[in-house]
Amino acid sequence: MKYINKSLMKLISALTLCLLAGVASAEWPKKPINVIVPYGAGGDSDLTTRVWADAVEKELGVPVVVINKAGGGGVVGTSFVANAKKDGYTLINAGLGNMLVTPNFSKTPYNFDSFVPVVKMTAVPLAVVVAKDSPYKTFDDFIAAAKKKPLTQGSWGASSSGTILANIIADQAGYKPKYVHANTTAASMVSVVGGHIQSAVSFPPAFGPHVKSGRARALVMNQKMADFPDVPTFSDYGIKGSFEGWSGVFAPQGVPQEVVDKLIAATTKVMKDPKVLQAYANMGAVVDFRQGNDEAWIAGMQETSSIMKGAAEKAKKK
Amino acid sequence: MFDNIINGFSSILAIGPIIGIITGVFIGIIFGAIPGVSAIMAIAIILPLTFYVDPIIGITMLLAVYKAGIYGGSISAILINTPGAAASFLTALDGNALTKQGKAGKALDISLFSSVTGEMIATLVLIFVAAPISIVSLQAGPIEKVFLLLFAFTVIGSLAGDSIPRGLLSCCLGMLFAMVGLSTITGASRFTFGVTELMAGFTFTPMLIGILVMPEVINTIRNRTAPHHNLSLKNSKNRGDNRISFKEFRSVFKTILKSTGIGTFVGALPGLGSSTAAFMAYGEAKRTSKSPEKFGKGSVEGIAAAESANNAVCGSSMIPMLTLSIPGDDVAALLMGAFLIHGLTPGPLIFFEHTETIYAIFAGFLLTDLFLLVIAKSGFGFFTRVASLKRYFIFPCVTIFAFAGAFTAGQNMNDVLILIVFTIIGYGMRLVGLNPAVFIIGFILTPFLEQNLDQSIAIVGTDYHLFFASPFSWVFIALTLFFVYTSARSKKKRAKQI
Repeated sequence: MKYINKSLMKLISALTLCLLAGVASAEWPKKPINVIVPYGAGGDSDLTTRVWADAVEKELGVPVVVINKAGGGGVVGTSFVANAKKDGYTLINAGLGNMLVTPNFSKTPYNFDSFVPVVKMTAVPLAVVVAKDSPYKTFDDFIAAAKKKPLTQGSWGASSSGTILANIIADQAGYKPKYVHANTTAASMVSVVGGHIQSAVSFPPAFGPHVKSGRARALVMNQKMADFPDVPTFSDYGIKGSFEGWSGVFAPQGVPQEVVDKLIAATTKVMKDPKVLQAYANMGAVVDFRQGNDEAWIAGMQETSSIMKGAAEKAKKK
Repeated sequence: MFDNIINGFSSILAIGPIIGIITGVFIGIIFGAIPGVSAIMAIAIILPLTFYVDPIIGITMLLAVYKAGIYGGSISAILINTPGAAASFLTALDGNALTKQGKAGKALDISLFSSVTGEMIATLVLIFVAAPISIVSLQAGPIEKVFLLLFAFTVIGSLAGDSIPRGLLSCCLGMLFAMVGLSTITGASRFTFGVTELMAGFTFTPMLIGILVMPEVINTIRNRTAPHHNLSLKNSKNRGDNRISFKEFRSVFKTILKSTGIGTFVGALPGLGSSTAAFMAYGEAKRTSKSPEKFGKGSVEGIAAAESANNAVCGSSMIPMLTLSIPGDDVAALLMGAFLIHGLTPGPLIFFEHTETIYAIFAGFLLTDLFLLVIAKSGFGFFTRVASLKRYFIFPCVTIFAFAGAFTAGQNMNDVLILIVFTIIGYGMRLVGLNPAVFIIGFILTPFLEQNLDQSIAIVGTDYHLFFASPFSWVFIALTLFFVYTSARSKKKRAKQI
């Protein structure tokens, strides 16, 4: 139904657009807005975006349609939006992977500056996880063992955000893991719980249920979370840096400022809705709402991007 | 346990959930039957709508869409040879062959009955023995899965037809095409020649339609002036050809049970999917069949094996999802999202914390099977009537659906190009005698094999004995060797007879 609705709406709005050509864009939005998720349906990015889209739809008064354009580690969907019309009707679900990691590690037709940050909804802290019967009770045990003999560590691709962050952690702690790349972090948790690999780097939506039911143990994570009060943080072990995945919405560079402002205003409203907050908490994400004009947030992302650039150059030299 | 199930039934037998299930079954059948539009799309679209209803209604409705969608793919596969999804392409081989013999009703019947039986049994397994099965399935890590996938590849032996070398060549081509794009392991671009659009690899749905469906359209156009070329689907006047008798059903019941077993097992192993299950069941059914020569040419047994196995996956992929919070395939991942958003965290505790809800959902599973049976069966007359229109009405529609389907799946014009390119490749393959079905198998299984092989190599390092450390591996090595041996031998035997 929604598809039929959408195409009907498109037709009608195209007609009205023809009639109203020349009228200033003061009336944005007047047709459905597409948000591209550059990954498959059902993942963390997808669910986070769907909850957001569903909530802001009511504020904006037009349908906000989530479209999955998966492939190429997020490159395909993200490039599509970078090249889309800058009219505010095509937005991108942004995250650590497609904004800060991939553009630095692979040849992509876009980079961080091709987009305007609009909002950030959630963050997920990275953690190092082992199975419940693993001999490593603390991160210190793990480091000591890993220094003696490389341990297997699950991640999701050699140039994925997971491996790159894991490398920065390992470099500082002084060990070298043997990576086992599954296609998703959920899949590498299966291997941890099944005892096929010795550890994994993962995010709460993937490891949360396993840790809560006692099948796995988080040794260390990026920041304290109410759900896992006893897990120490990386900074407790003297490891510096921000190791978190996040999910937000960006627009292609060049959209009218009015669009960004309206989106920020709508999101600010819905991020106070207890239903939305509960939906994010149920997913295992930490709500970390930031607006596109938050300079600390942008500076943080630029810093991460330059760290990634350095890591990419280092990886190329090897 | 039993009182839980009875309680579950009492909460599902209310107006809300029943309307949810019926709507879900309708949506699922329609989305599944239209080539290029899949159940997963329907689920993704209606997922946000279910936030506003009770989880029992919302989740049973999504599951109804899932189950009916997997089944729905077989309708168009049988009637007009357009498998909308990977899981139903084996059904298209045998089912459409039956349709061409005027036995469409028989093919539809057997696919519905075996789908429902497969689903039903897998659901019962889910309800009663989910926990122990999930513990066993965890024992299968990357190494074990490599051997299991190698075993799945042996189905090529039973599909390759007369020429094994040509079959192997087709499979290798499929494997080669599967490697195009950004490697999920190293992130390197492979065979993309600098084209960004190729970084995603070849999208599966347009490729499948291009290889399997469109050449059929071209053939029809080429033969349009041929005398004796029947322009429409003929329906046998003989009533027995248009339904499945109890005797026939009983004769394939063993195949259904075995295939359901295979489907349930593969579904419980996370990350292999329904096509792998269907391949294994089909291969095994052909190996043990009394009339293996009929496979691919309209075998009731073949349809029964493929359909019961791929539908069993629907039920059993819920096992690792619910007990261990591990989604078995992409649909299960989406459904797990639905569970999470409704505040039901999958895991062993779900059975204690949300007893009532979870058993109501289980009862909803069983009820869905019932509704699917009734709704689909009553639609058969309509479906066959649509498919019996003259071919010059049907095939232009198929072409439109093929192009529209290729586009809507990803809302991407490049997918339409992929469809056109693979139509040419698929037609060319037929002309030179390569096997499109085997090509698809190579394409589907390769990413799984590559991913698991890479992980195994990383785990094993230099301790090569680890490859053979688990009994699981040995079982699948033995099965693979046995399969290769028996299919080679039966080939020799047949050669002697001729």
